[in-house]
Amino acid sequence: MELVVLVLVFAVLFAIGVPIAFSIGAATICAFLFAVDFTPAVTTVAQRMAGGLNSFALLAIPLFILSGQLMARGGIARRLIDFSKAFIGALPGGLAFVNVISCMLFGSISGSAVAATSAIGGFMVPQMRREGFERDFSAALTATASSTGLLIPPSNILIVYAVASGGVSIAALFVAGYLPGLLMGLALMIVAAGYARKHNMPRGERVSLTETGKRTVAALPSLLLVVIVIGGILGGVFTATEAGAIAVAYSLLLAVGVYREVQPSELAEILVKSAETTAIVMFLIATSIAMSWLLAYERVPAELASLLLGISDNPLVLLLLINLFLLAIGIFMDMTPAVLIFTPIFLPVAVQLGMSPLHFGIMLIMNLTIGLCTPPVGSILFVSCAVAKTSIGNIVRPMIPMYMALMIALLIVTYVPQFSEALPRFFGLID
Amino acid sequence: MNVAASINRFLGFALALLMTAMVTSVVWQVLSRYLFVVPAAWTEELARFLLIWIGMLGAAYAYRQGSHLGIDLLASKLSPGGQKTLHRVIHLVCLLFAAAVLIVGGGALVALTWELKQYSAAIGMPIAYVYSVIPASGILMCVFAAEAMARGPKDEAV
Repeated sequence: MELVVLVLVFAVLFAIGVPIAFSIGAATICAFLFAVDFTPAVTTVAQRMAGGLNSFALLAIPLFILSGQLMARGGIARRLIDFSKAFIGALPGGLAFVNVISCMLFGSISGSAVAATSAIGGFMVPQMRREGFERDFSAALTATASSTGLLIPPSNILIVYAVASGGVSIAALFVAGYLPGLLMGLALMIVAAGYARKHNMPRGERVSLTETGKRTVAALPSLLLVVIVIGGILGGVFTATEAGAIAVAYSLLLAVGVYREVQPSELAEILVKSAETTAIVMFLIATSIAMSWLLAYERVPAELASLLLGISDNPLVLLLLINLFLLAIGIFMDMTPAVLIFTPIFLPVAVQLGMSPLHFGIMLIMNLTIGLCTPPVGSILFVSCAVAKTSIGNIVRPMIPMYMALMIALLIVTYVPQFSEALPRFFGLID
Repeated sequence: MNVAASINRFLGFALALLMTAMVTSVVWQVLSRYLFVVPAAWTEELARFLLIWIGMLGAAYAYRQGSHLGIDLLASKLSPGGQKTLHRVIHLVCLLFAAAVLIVGGGALVALTWELKQYSAAIGMPIAYVYSVIPASGILMCVFAAEAMARGPKDEAV
C-alpha cells in the first residue's frame, strides 16, 4: 500500500511539473503517513534529510562545483579545443573528433556536462557547420560527448554513488571511471568516423610542431588541475573532499592570477551561483535519501531482490534486465535521485550475482549517463539545442547511432569487469 | 522591488559568505595537517554543518530563482487559464511540503535535540542550532511559494 502511494504520488507530481526534489519529498511523506502519525512522520523525514547531508564525503561536491565554475569562465574551452586540434584535427572529419575530445576534457575539468555542452558546443558547432557537418549531427555529438565527463574524474555523481553505496572508496571510483569514460568517447568517435566517411568530410588544418608545443603549454595549467586532484588522491596526500578544496584554491589562482579571466569583483557572483547549484543538488540528495530510507523501512530492496533472483539466477540475464530498467528510469529521472534511490535496491542483487560494488557503480552511472541524453528530460539536450539553434525533435535522429554505440559500450562495461576494476587494482585501491 | 526579492537578495549574500567559510575551513584542514601534523578537529565538523546550511538556505534561494529541476511538458500543452491553475497547484504542493516537513517536522527536530541537550562532538555547538536552518528554510520557501502563487505563471520573478 505505502509503495503504491509512493510511486503514484511521485509520478503524478513529477508529471504535472512539480520540481523533482519536491515530488520525491512529498511522495515520501504521503506514503509514510500511512505507516505512522503526522508528527513522528514529518520529524523523521526532516531528520533523514538533514542527516543525509551531514557527510564529509558530500562536501566534495560544492567544492568541485565551485572550482568548475571558476575554471569554466573565459578561454579554457578555446584552449582545450586548440590543444585537441593540434593532435587530431588533421584527420578526415577531424573537427568531430576534436569536439568529442574537448568535451571529455572540459567535462572532466569543469565537472559539469551542461557547462561542457554550452562552452565547447558554442565554439565547435558553428565551426563544424562551416566545414559541412550537419547542424543536428553536431549538436547531438556535443551532447553525448559532454555526458562522458560524468564518468571521467573528478566527478560529483561518482561521489554521490560512493555515499549511496555506503562505503565504496571515492578514490577507487574516480580511477575506475577513466576506462569506461574513454570507451564511451571512443564509441562516439567511431560513429563520427562513420559519418565523416559517408559524407566525405574534409581534413582539418595540419598544425606545425612549434604551434603544437605552444598550444600544449597554453592548455597545460587547466589540465594540471586534474593531475593535481587525481594524483593527490592516489598518492594519499589528501582525501577527495580535501582534493576539492585544493581544486578551488588552484582554480582561483589560475582564473584570477594567471589567466586573469575572472575579475575579483565577479567572485561574489560565482560564489552565489555555486551555492545555488550546490543547494539544488543537496536538496535533491536530502529528499532522495529520505525516500531511500523509507524504501528500506518498507523492506522494498529485500523483496525486490528475491523477486529478481526468482526470475532467473543467470547473471547475464539479470544484469541485462537491471540495465534495461535503469535506462528506462534514466529517460525520466535526473541522475542524482536515481543513484540514491536505486543503488540500495539493485546493489545487493548485483553483489549476489558476484559483481563488485565498484563495478556496479560504474555500470549504473554509465547507464544513467545515456538516459541523460534522451528526451523529454535532459538538461544537456536542451543546452546543446540552444547553442546549435535547433530543436530536440531534430537531433534525435542523428543521435540514434550514438545511442547504439553507447549501449554497446555499456554492455562491454557491464560484462567485462576489467574495464572498471583493472586501473583501481593497478593502483592498489582494491584487492 | 518587493519583499520577497529583498529577502532573496539578502539570502544570496548570506550564501556567498557561507560558501566562503566552508571552502576556507576545508582548505585550512589540509593546511593544518601539514603545518601542525595534527589536523584541526573543528574544521571537518564546521564544514559539514555549513553544508547543511548552504543546502537548506540555498534550496529556498533556488526556489525563488525557479531553478529546481523539473519538467514543464504539461504546462506547454495547456491554455493560459490552465497554465495559471497548474502554476498554483505546483507551488501549493511545494508550500505544503515545506510547511509540513520543514517547518513542523524540522521545528520538532530542533525542539527535540534542544531538550535532549545534544551537542556536537568537536565544536560543542548545540545540534539544535544546526537544525534550526530546516524550519528557517521552510518559512522562506512558504513565503516564496505564496508570492509565486500570487504572481502567476507569466510574470518573471524580479
